[in-house]
Amino acid sequence: MKGGKLTSRDSFWGYVFIAVPMLIFLAFTVYPVFSAVITSFQDYKPLGSEFAGLENYINTFKNDLFYKAFKNTIVFSVTSVPISILVSFMIAIMILPFRKKIQSMYKGIFYLPTVASGVALAFVWKWIFDSMPDGLLNSVLGVFGVEAQNWLGSKKTAMLSLVIMSVASGLGQSIIIYMAAILNVDPSYYEAADVDGARLWDKLRYILWPLVKPTTVFLAITGVINGFQAFQNAYLMTGGGPDNETTMVGLLIFNRAFKYFEYGEACAQAILLAIVIAVFTIIQFKVNSNDVEY
Amino acid sequence: MKRKKVIGLLLIAGMMASMAAGCGSGSDDSSGGGNGTKAEAQGDTKTEEKSDKITAILPPVTSAYQENVEDYIASYEEENPGIEIEVVSASWEDFSEKLDVQVNAGSPPDIAFIGSGDISKYIETGMLLDIGAYASEDMLNDFDETVLEYMKNGDSIYGFPAYCSVQAIAGNKELLEAAGIDWQNVQENGWTFDEFREACKKGTVTENGEVKQYGFVSACSGVSAEDYFNIFAKNAGMPSPFNEDGKYAYTSENMLQLLQSYRDLIDDGSAPESMSTIDGTKKNNMYLTGQAMMICKGTPTIEKTAYDNTKLLESGDSSAVEGSIPVESVFLPAPTFDGQSQNAQGTIDGYVCFSADTSDEEHISNVIDFAYYLASGETAAEVCRDLYVTPVCESGREAYDKLPAIEGKSEENTKAIELLQEQVAPARPDISSEKMSQATQLADEVIFPKLSSLLSGETTPEDMYNAICEAAYETFGEENCA
Repeated sequence: MKGGKLTSRDSFWGYVFIAVPMLIFLAFTVYPVFSAVITSFQDYKPLGSEFAGLENYINTFKNDLFYKAFKNTIVFSVTSVPISILVSFMIAIMILPFRKKIQSMYKGIFYLPTVASGVALAFVWKWIFDSMPDGLLNSVLGVFGVEAQNWLGSKKTAMLSLVIMSVASGLGQSIIIYMAAILNVDPSYYEAADVDGARLWDKLRYILWPLVKPTTVFLAITGVINGFQAFQNAYLMTGGGPDNETTMVGLLIFNRAFKYFEYGEACAQAILLAIVIAVFTIIQFKVNSNDVEY
Repeated sequence: MKRKKVIGLLLIAGMMASMAAGCGSGSDDSSGGGNGTKAEAQGDTKTEEKSDKITAILPPVTSAYQENVEDYIASYEEENPGIEIEVVSASWEDFSEKLDVQVNAGSPPDIAFIGSGDISKYIETGMLLDIGAYASEDMLNDFDETVLEYMKNGDSIYGFPAYCSVQAIAGNKELLEAAGIDWQNVQENGWTFDEFREACKKGTVTENGEVKQYGFVSACSGVSAEDYFNIFAKNAGMPSPFNEDGKYAYTSENMLQLLQSYRDLIDDGSAPESMSTIDGTKKNNMYLTGQAMMICKGTPTIEKTAYDNTKLLESGDSSAVEGSIPVESVFLPAPTFDGQSQNAQGTIDGYVCFSADTSDEEHISNVIDFAYYLASGETAAEVCRDLYVTPVCESGREAYDKLPAIEGKSEENTKAIELLQEQVAPARPDISSEKMSQATQLADEVIFPKLSSLLSGETTPEDMYNAICEAAYETFGEENCA
């Protein structure tokens, strides 16, 4: 760069450097998306697919399980995301007063499940949710006189169990992001509030919460996107049962593609899911971001 | 600045090269990563002699299988100097995924080991080879006809069966005798559901209002529910999802009776209320710790599991199952319903062949020959020995007789297993792969999810039956349902 002006030679090198990530993006994101759109209009066969028009979309809309899976996915997202945000915000505040070393220790503890393998986590959670009276959670609740619950086998508690698992296993990242955001808040706001005689709740309500709103919006949007794509926990913990009460759209797509080899219908469902996620994301941006400055 | 750009460009070139290398496929050089257990040719000279390469994907059929398969390959390659075998081994968890990805990408392995129930799924891809057109009469005649039928669809034969195992019930001999159950008579003559139900009640032990031992426990979590359903449905007058007239059978009154029986066992207190969440590991644990008198599914190898664990207990080995007791396991048939005949649930798995291009007949002939080699003779004998079942081909039985006897194997169990092998429900090659796939989908989306709900007491047998009928009428049409 000479005199703040970009020369054509610099531009050339700029393009060369962004070429690699662009190629990766084109090969592993854009191409699969286009390919999925095309496949959604085909009767996919490995040795030659045939054009099927809107048949895959019509079959999807005629399938009652698709609507049930969508309902389950929405229930899962709208319960797990706010709970996760609230709990991680509270934990971040609680960790903050500690010394740096203790803070790091807590951050490490809460982040550990994020690093652990999903399959290993599922094993642990299956053990926790053991439905026998001597199961871990049932034993603990038994002390308080709560009857043993069939956590993963009952329609009443299966979804709740997945939400608990999702929240408890996914707090680490949100806590770290919240802590970074909270540390960025100028301490002079708190000092001014102290002078005005503000209590802890007032500082949280009128200073901290509004100032970390961009982080909250970010966590809400990424949380909802992840929630809509939820697959692993339902697949490993309940298999979608009982009575399809925990069948999520992600699991439905997986089964359609890899169990029944109906790739066309699976792609149609995936495209519809992507549209719904996009709509939800836009709505969230519109509703939550009016007073947010980035 | 210029130097930095050159370094940057070199880095980019390096990344691009590694990407290209990573994405490259179809290379004949199989020395790359992965978990392939390729039987390498000995020395460069020998490699040059190889003229045909056969690829196979194999799961751990038995605990010793993946180790033994290298010897089988070495022996086969020695007998067939022009052939090179490349095997990709995979765990049971990864196996289906790996195979499905290869098949749907249009580049399947030449040989794969699959369950006969999955044949219809792969037929739909158009790449499963009809081996009937290539295999010699001698090869096909080597196998028991009833078992070979399982590898058929229509008039086509899609593979060689490796074994026919049976799934039924396993019982703790000591606890059965303590409950006054004549298990030897049951092994020989079978039992009705009412007799079975009574036995379950007798085998349930309660202390201070708490159940210490259940008469019966079945694994019903996830895919295990499928086994529980299939084992009992076969003896309830529904040996196949389609009756002899080709009509969907699970809408018959027999289904309602079967669903009621599942509830009866739980309502009697003979089976745990939370049975819908018990998985295979938990079920086996309850069996070995004496918390369950009988379990489902019982496979022939549960006898070996119990025997090995008892040996560990006797030698004071800490790797024995925690809290376990010495168990002598007896193999029992599933009960029959209302005068129905015994139709045992058979697990017939075998070697199927794929081909995206059938023009190279010599290669196909080599593939068929190697698949037959894996499914017959000594290979079949060793696999069946490990699974505690008798081979399903003449050459396998001849080789089996020469193998040393298995230590601690019960004669009574062997006879009971052989009897059930003869009573395995007949195969239904007359049902089209499309109809079979529709039935599988209906079972996956309606029957099994509702079954777990029924076992939890949140759906009644009548509601579940009505839901099955409704879904079946929609799928097959009311006139095509029993």
